[in-house]
Amino acid sequence: MDRRKFLQLMGLVSGTTLLSSCGSERNQKELISYLVPPEDGVRPGTAAWRVSTCSECPAHCGITVRLREGRAVKLEGNPDHPVSQGALCMRGQAALWRLYHPQRLRTPLLRTGNGYRPIGWDEAMKRIAEAMTASAEKSRTNMLLTGSTSGSLAALQERFADTCRIDRLPEFEFFNHAALRQAYQLLYGRPRLPRFGIEDADLLVTVGADLLETFISPVGYAHQLSVARREKGLQWSHIEPHLSLTGANADRRLTIRPGSEATLLLWLLQTLAKRRRYARRLPQQILDALPKISLARAMDNSGLPGSSLTELARSLEKARHPLLITGGVATAQLAGGQVALLGCLLQWVLTVPWQGLDFDRAENFGRAGDLRDLQQLNLSLQNDEVGVLIISRTDPVRHSPQKWRLDENLRRARLSIAMTDLHTATSRTTDLILPLTQNFERWDDVEPRIGIHSLIQPAMAPLHNTRSEGDILLELQQRLTGRSEAATYEKYLQQRWKKLFSASQLRAFINKGFVTKGSPRTTISLRTKPTVAALRRIAPSEPLPAPATVITGSIRSFDGRSAVLPLLGEIPDPLTTVTHGNWVTLSPRLASQYGVKDGEELRLTKTDFAVAQPARLQPGLPDGIFGLPIDSLTSGPPGIDPATGEALRVIGGIKAHPTGKHFALPILSGSPSQKGRGIIPKPIHRKGKHHAEHRSLYPEPAYRQYRWAMAIDLKRCIGCAACVASCYVENSVPVVGREEHLKGREMSWLRIEPFYDDQGRASFIPMLCQHCDYAPCEPVCPVYAAYHNPEGLNVQVYNRCVGTRYCSNNCPYKVRRFNWWQHKWAPPLEKMHNPDLAPRSKGMMEKCTFCIQRIRTAHETAGKEDRLIRDGEVIPACAQSCPTDAITFGNLLDPQSAVARLIKTPRTYRVFEGLGTEPAVYYLRPD
Amino acid sequence: MSDKAPKRPGTRLRKLFCLAVFSYFALLVLATLSASLVRGFFAPPTTQPIAFPHTTHADKLNLACDFCHSGVKQEASAGVPALSVCLSCHRAIATDRPEIEKLLGYERRGEPVRWQRLHNLPDFIHFTHQRHIQAEQPCAACHGAVERMLEVQRVRSLKMGWCISCHRSRGAPRDCATCHK
Repeated sequence: MDRRKFLQLMGLVSGTTLLSSCGSERNQKELISYLVPPEDGVRPGTAAWRVSTCSECPAHCGITVRLREGRAVKLEGNPDHPVSQGALCMRGQAALWRLYHPQRLRTPLLRTGNGYRPIGWDEAMKRIAEAMTASAEKSRTNMLLTGSTSGSLAALQERFADTCRIDRLPEFEFFNHAALRQAYQLLYGRPRLPRFGIEDADLLVTVGADLLETFISPVGYAHQLSVARREKGLQWSHIEPHLSLTGANADRRLTIRPGSEATLLLWLLQTLAKRRRYARRLPQQILDALPKISLARAMDNSGLPGSSLTELARSLEKARHPLLITGGVATAQLAGGQVALLGCLLQWVLTVPWQGLDFDRAENFGRAGDLRDLQQLNLSLQNDEVGVLIISRTDPVRHSPQKWRLDENLRRARLSIAMTDLHTATSRTTDLILPLTQNFERWDDVEPRIGIHSLIQPAMAPLHNTRSEGDILLELQQRLTGRSEAATYEKYLQQRWKKLFSASQLRAFINKGFVTKGSPRTTISLRTKPTVAALRRIAPSEPLPAPATVITGSIRSFDGRSAVLPLLGEIPDPLTTVTHGNWVTLSPRLASQYGVKDGEELRLTKTDFAVAQPARLQPGLPDGIFGLPIDSLTSGPPGIDPATGEALRVIGGIKAHPTGKHFALPILSGSPSQKGRGIIPKPIHRKGKHHAEHRSLYPEPAYRQYRWAMAIDLKRCIGCAACVASCYVENSVPVVGREEHLKGREMSWLRIEPFYDDQGRASFIPMLCQHCDYAPCEPVCPVYAAYHNPEGLNVQVYNRCVGTRYCSNNCPYKVRRFNWWQHKWAPPLEKMHNPDLAPRSKGMMEKCTFCIQRIRTAHETAGKEDRLIRDGEVIPACAQSCPTDAITFGNLLDPQSAVARLIKTPRTYRVFEGLGTEPAVYYLRPD
Repeated sequence: MSDKAPKRPGTRLRKLFCLAVFSYFALLVLATLSASLVRGFFAPPTTQPIAFPHTTHADKLNLACDFCHSGVKQEASAGVPALSVCLSCHRAIATDRPEIEKLLGYERRGEPVRWQRLHNLPDFIHFTHQRHIQAEQPCAACHGAVERMLEVQRVRSLKMGWCISCHRSRGAPRDCATCHK
C-alpha cells in the first residue's frame, strides 16, 4: 500500500467514526414506565430483601436474597436461622451462578440418537403418562429416585407414589452417612443422624468427620465450633489418615494409619470402660463382648505413639462435656460399619450423659438410602423390570462404581427421565430431560432438621420455560388418575401450610423464613442384645497397606455437584490453592520418592481402579497417602462397602507411576511457607519492632468522623473461603478462567493464603486491600485515580484510571487486580451484576473497596435521620458470610465500636508493620 | 557556476505531500465543526412517545413534582409515573384528545410507555435525588423551569465540573467516592 492510499483510507475511517459518533450521547436510554406500580414497593434503584433457604446441599442454610429491579443479585445468610446462624458458605454464595448459568436447561429435551430435540411440556407429560400406563400393563415397575427431599415436596412425593403406583426408592445422596445411621439404628433403634451439641461441649474428638467441609451441616458446625471455642474453651482433636481443612483447623491433629480407626476406638472404649464413671454406662454383657486389645497393638496399628493415645484417653476422662463424632472417610471404608458402631458406642458412654446428642432434632436423612439401594436398582434395570424411571436432583451415574455400567443399564428402562437444572452425567444418558425451576423462582419449603420448617420463596419470575418438581408431579398425577392433590404446587403448599401452621406461625414463616416447632426431648436407651451381637462380630483388622488413597469431599463442590459453577472453579482450594482443574496431593517426601513435581502426572492403580491426575505437593500430608479430591475421580467411586452401602473412599495398596506427562496447574500461592516474613507472626517476630521513621511529602491524613477499619481474628478464621465467594458476587468480580490464572492474572479482591510451618501445620490469613494511611499505591498514580478519602478508604476511581499499573507494582500486599481484558459475562450472567457498583472495563485497576457501596447506603440512611452511622450498620460482604464471625468492620474513631475495642487486645498486629504503611486492617494473631 | 543550488528532484512531491497532510487535518477540523453545528442546530428535537405538556400539569394545574415523580423525596431515583397514575385522572378527563387516546392505547395493549431520557448520568455515577431534596435544592436547580416547557429540554450540562461548582459553593462533600461508584 502506498502513502496516498493509506491517507485515503485514514480519511475514510476517521470520517466515518466521527459521523457515527454524532448524537451518541443523547437518546441512549429510555425511561420505561410501570403499568401499575408494584404492590410490594419494588422501586428502581432500591434494594429489597427476601428470606429463603439455600438448596445447594442437604444442610439447607437460611438465606436472604437481595433483589434489584426484580432480579436476585446477592445472597446472604439469614442471621436468625437455626441451621446456619447467618453464615453462608461459598457453595451457597455460588447458587446465583446456578440460577443464571448460561447452560441452564431451558425447555424439555427428548433424546434423538445422539442429540436432543426440544419439545413442549405438554408433549413431555403425555409421553411420561403414556409410558407409565403402558409399563404398568407390561408388569414393569415405575420408579421415582430423588436426591435428598423434605417438607412439602416429600409429602407430595409420597401421595404421588401412592396414587400413581410408582415405587418411591430411598433418596440417593453420595454422602449418605449410612454407616452412622445403621449404627444408631442398632444401638438405639433410631436410624437417624442426631443434632450434635457442639456449642455445649468442652472437648471434641472427631474421627474422620470433616465437619467444616462436607459432613452433614458444615456451616452450622463451623459456627457452633467457633462459639464453643470462644465461650466454653473447647479443645478439639481431629483424627484422620490424611489432611483435610477440618484437620488443619483442629487444635490437635492426630495422623493415624488408614484403616486403623476401629482399633483406636476399640482401645479408647476399653480404656474408658475401666473407669468407674463410665463402666456404669455399659452393661456387663457389652463389656464382655468387647474384643480385648493391648496398648501396644493399638500403637502399632494406628501408628500413634503411646503418649498420644493415653493423653487422648485422659483428656476424654477429664472433660465435663466430651463429644466424639465419627464419620466422613472413617466410616466410608471396608471396616466403616465397625468404626461407626464403636464411635456411636463411645458417644453413649461420653456424650449421651450430658445430652450432647439430640435425636428429636435429627437431621433430614430419614429417607436416605445408600449405594446398595442403587445396586438394587441397577439389578432391576438389568433384568428389564423397570418401566418409567424418574430421577430427580441426583446424579447416580456419576456416583456409582463404573463397573456397574449404570449409564448403559439406564437405557433398558422403558423411559428414563432426569429432572435437573443443569446437565449431569445422569441426564446425559436419560431419554427425557425435564428442566427444573431454580430455588429463587418458586415457592417451596424444606425441613432440614426435624421441627425446623424453612421457607423457599420466589425472588423473581422464572428465567426459562421450566417447572418445579411439585408442579410436574401434580400434572402427572392429574393425567394418570384424573385428579390431583391441587391445581398447582403453590396451591398445594398453601393448603399444607394452613394445616401445618397457626396464623401467627404462618406469618413468622413468611417474614422470618422459618418456624421451629418444639417437641419434648425423648430419652434414648441402649439396646443391649443387638449391640452385643454386633460387637461379637467385630474383629480388629490390620491397617490398610501403604500407600493408600483417600478420596476427600470438596469444600468447593461438595460431592462434585457444584463443580459446574464457574465461580467455584475460580476460588482456590483452601489447602492447595489450586483453582481450575484436578489434581492428586502427596507429601513432598513421597513426591521426591516418585520423582514428581507440581503438575507432573501420576497414575494411581489398583486391581479395578485407575486414575491419572497431575500431582500437587501438599505439606502436612502424611507420607504414604495420596489425597484425591472427589472432583478428580473421573469414574465414580472404586467400590462400595457391602456391609454399610457407603462408597469406599480409603483404598490401600495403591500402585503409583509417574506417566511423564506434565500439566500446568494454576496454583495461586507463591509459596507454602512464609519464608520467615512473619505475615502470621511467630514469637520471634514479636521481639523487636523496627518501625521505619515516617517521612512524607504529603499532608497527614486527618479524619473527622469516620476512619473505617477491619479486624480479622486469625484464631477464628478456618480458611473456608466463604468470604472470597461473597466478595466475588457482591462486587461482580469477573471470573477469568484457567488460562488467565496460569498467567497470574486472577481477579479476586480477597484471597485466603494458607501457610505451612515445618511440622506441616497450616494457618490461614485472609488478604485484602489494607486501606493504608500511607498507602504506597496512592502517590504513584499519575492521574489521581488511587487516592485517600476523608474516611480513610483507599479509593480507586475506575473511570479515571488509565492503566499504568504503577499502583499494583508499588503495593506490598499484592491486592490490586488489573483488567487485562474486557471480561465477558455470558448472558444471562450479566443479570447478577450489582448495580451499585461501577462496571470496570479493559485497562482498569480494581481492588477491595471495603464494600464502599454499603458504606454509601449507610450514609444515606444515616443522613436521612440526621445522625452518624451506627456501629454494625455497615457489614461488608466478607464479614456477613463468615461462619465463625472472624471479620469485624467499623469506625475506629468511635471508641465504643467493636473494631476499636478489638484492636486494643494484645494479639493485634498488622502485616508488614515495619514498612510504615499504617494499614487499617488489623489482624489478631492465632496464639 | 550559478549561485543557485540545483533544484533537487522530489521537492514538488514533498510540497504535495505537505498539502495533503494539511488538507487532511483541515478537513478533519471542518468536519468536526460542522458535525457539532448539525448536532446543535439541525438535529431533530427528541420526540417523546406522548407529547406530555408539563406546562398544563405543573403550571396551570400546579401539581407538585412529586405528585408524579413520587420517589424524589425518599429515594435515589425520582422515577417516571406508572401508567395507572396518569389514568387515575385521564380515564375521565380529556379522553377525546389524541395524546390521551395514545395513552389509553398503551393501557389497552398492556404496553409500557418508553419515554426518551434527557437527564442521563453515566453508569459509574451514583446520584440520589433524596439527598438533594433534603438539602433543600429546588428541582429547578438542575432541571430548569420545567413548568414552562411545553416539551422538556435539558438545560444543564450535568457534567462533573458543573456538579462540583455547586458542591463547592454549598460546602457539600467533594470526595470523589461521594459520586463515583
